[in-house]
Amino acid sequence: MKDKLSREELLHVAELARIELTEEEIEKYQIHIKKLLDDVEKIKDVEGYDEEQLIAPWSENTHLREDKIGEMYDPKEVINRAPKHSGNYIEVPVVVGESEGA
Amino acid sequence: MRYLNLPLVEINKLLKEKKIKPIDLVNEAYENIEKHKEYNAYITLNKEDAIRQAKELENKEVDNLFFGIPIAVKDNIVTKGLRTTAASHILDNFIPPYDATVVEKIKERNMIIIGKTNMDEFAMGSSSRTSYFGPPKNPWNKNKISGGTSGGSATTIALRDVPIALGSDTGGSIRQPSAYTGIVGLKPTYGRVSRYGLIAYASSFDQIGAMTRNVYENALLLNTIVGHDDKDLTSSKKENEDFTRLIGESVKGKKIAIPKFFVSEIVSKDILDNIKQVVKILEENGVIVDYIDMKYVENTVTLYQIIAMAEASSNLARYDGIRYGYSYEKPNNIDDLYVKTRANGFGEEVKKRIMVGSYLLSGENAKTYYNKALSIRDDIRKEFKRVLNDYDWIMGPTTATTAYDLDDPMDDPSKSFLDDVLVMPANMTGLPGINVPIGFGKDNMPIGLHIMGDSFEEAKLYQIASFIEKELKLDLNPWKGEENE
Repeated sequence: MKDKLSREELLHVAELARIELTEEEIEKYQIHIKKLLDDVEKIKDVEGYDEEQLIAPWSENTHLREDKIGEMYDPKEVINRAPKHSGNYIEVPVVVGESEGA
Repeated sequence: MRYLNLPLVEINKLLKEKKIKPIDLVNEAYENIEKHKEYNAYITLNKEDAIRQAKELENKEVDNLFFGIPIAVKDNIVTKGLRTTAASHILDNFIPPYDATVVEKIKERNMIIIGKTNMDEFAMGSSSRTSYFGPPKNPWNKNKISGGTSGGSATTIALRDVPIALGSDTGGSIRQPSAYTGIVGLKPTYGRVSRYGLIAYASSFDQIGAMTRNVYENALLLNTIVGHDDKDLTSSKKENEDFTRLIGESVKGKKIAIPKFFVSEIVSKDILDNIKQVVKILEENGVIVDYIDMKYVENTVTLYQIIAMAEASSNLARYDGIRYGYSYEKPNNIDDLYVKTRANGFGEEVKKRIMVGSYLLSGENAKTYYNKALSIRDDIRKEFKRVLNDYDWIMGPTTATTAYDLDDPMDDPSKSFLDDVLVMPANMTGLPGINVPIGFGKDNMPIGLHIMGDSFEEAKLYQIASFIEKELKLDLNPWKGEENE
C-alpha cells in the first residue's frame, strides 16, 4: 500500500472541501489524509452486519414544529454580522465573469 | 474568605441569608481566573456583563439553588451579545444574535455566565491543542493536556475557579477531559438536552452536558438544562425528572457488564489496577460484575471517523465568508472567496476532517463508507441494548492512559480519534455516559471510570457514580494548599 496520496488526489479532495492549500500543507496532508483514508478502509473488513441503518440515535418519532410564525430576529441584527452588507442586503463578490487572474 | 469552594447548597444558604451577595461570588470567580491565567481555560471573559447582572440580582429574591452562581460555558454554545468562537479563527469576531436554548435556561435561573471556555477548534481533537487560542493546561500538572474537546471547562472546574460548567460531547469531549482533570462529566442521552445554539460538528453525536466537582451537583445542573425544545427536532419529549432522586439508594444486587475490550491491553496497567480496585469495592457491596464479549466495540473508532467527518464536512460548509465570521478581504470571485476564507479561517485538524468527510460523501463513496457505517452503527446500538437488557450498567475506564504531555507530537492524524476509543460507543448509540474520578496514576494524574446506562436513565448513572464517589472519598482539589491563604 502506498503511504501517501498523489498531489492530484489530494487537490481533488481539497477542491471538494473548497479549501485552498499551501505547498507546505500539500506535502503534509498527502501523508495525513492518506492515513485517515486508510483508517476508514477498515470498515470494509466488517462483515455479517444488518442492512438497517441508524441515521441518528433518537428513539422517538420525529416531531415537526407546528407551521406558524414564531419569534423572529431583527433582520438588521443578523445582516450586520455579514462581513459586507448594505442596507438589508448581504454583498457578495462577482459570481460569473471575472475569473482568477483575469 | 472563599465561598466558591463550598457545596452549592451551602452557597445558596448564604445567599438566602444575605450573608453574601452574588457580586461576591462573581468577584471571587474573576480573582480565581486571574490567578490561574496561565492555565488558559477561557477564550472570552464576560466580566462587565457578569458584574452588572450580579448587581441587578441584589434586588431579587433567591428563588432557586443556582441563583447567582457563576457558570462557565464552552465556547461552541452561542451566547447573545457575547463573542462565541468555537476556538476558530473563522469565528473569532462572531457575536451571536441569539442565545442557545441551554443558555436561555441557565439565564432563567439567574446563573451568571463568567466566560466562554477554551476547546478544540469546532470540537475536533482530543487535547484542546487544536484551539486557535492555544491549549488549556492541566491543573494537576501544567505540562500536561487537560484533554478535549471541552478542555477549558474541565480545567476551570478542576481549578475550582467556578463550581459548574457546560461542555459538549461528540465522541467523548465531556467525559475524557473530565477524566484527565479529576472532575465529574456526564453526556446525556441523545435528545435529552436541546442542541439549538450548539455550533454543529457531527449532529447525530453532539450533545451538551454538565461538568462539575461532584456527582450530586452534576445531577442538579442537568435538572436545569434538559427538556423538549421545538427548535431542535431531535430533542426528546420525555418528561423532565429529578436526576438526584436515586442518589443514595442501595446498589446491592445490581449488575454491571465490563466489555473485555475496555480492559484489554490497550489500557495502561496503572488504570487497570484502579479499575480492579473499584470492581472489588462494588463486589464487596453486593454488585455483580461480569466481564463480557461485545460485538463491534472495536470498530467504533472507524465508524466514528466516517460518520463524524462526513457530518462535519456538511455542517461546516456554512462557513463561506459571506454571512458571518472571517472573510478573505480581496477575492477575485466567489469561488476565490470560499477557498481562501476557508484556507485562512480553519486550522489544520478541521481542514483535514472536512477534506476526508467531503471525500467520503462524494459519489459512490457514500455507499461504500457512509451508508455501511450507518448500518453497523445500528448493529452496535442493538448490541448495547441487548447487554443493557441483562445489566444495569456497562463500565470501563474513561481513557486508556492518564493525561499526556502538552508537547507530545501531533504528527499522527489518527491519535485524536484513538484517544476516545473507550467513550465513543456512548455517542455511537446515543446512550448516556458519565466520568467519575477513581484515583491517581503513578504520575499523580487523575484516573476516571466511565459508566454507561440505558437511554434516559441518567438518574441511575448518578446513583452508581455517587456510590463509587462516596466509597472512594478522593481529595480532588489540586488547590488544597491555597485554601488557607
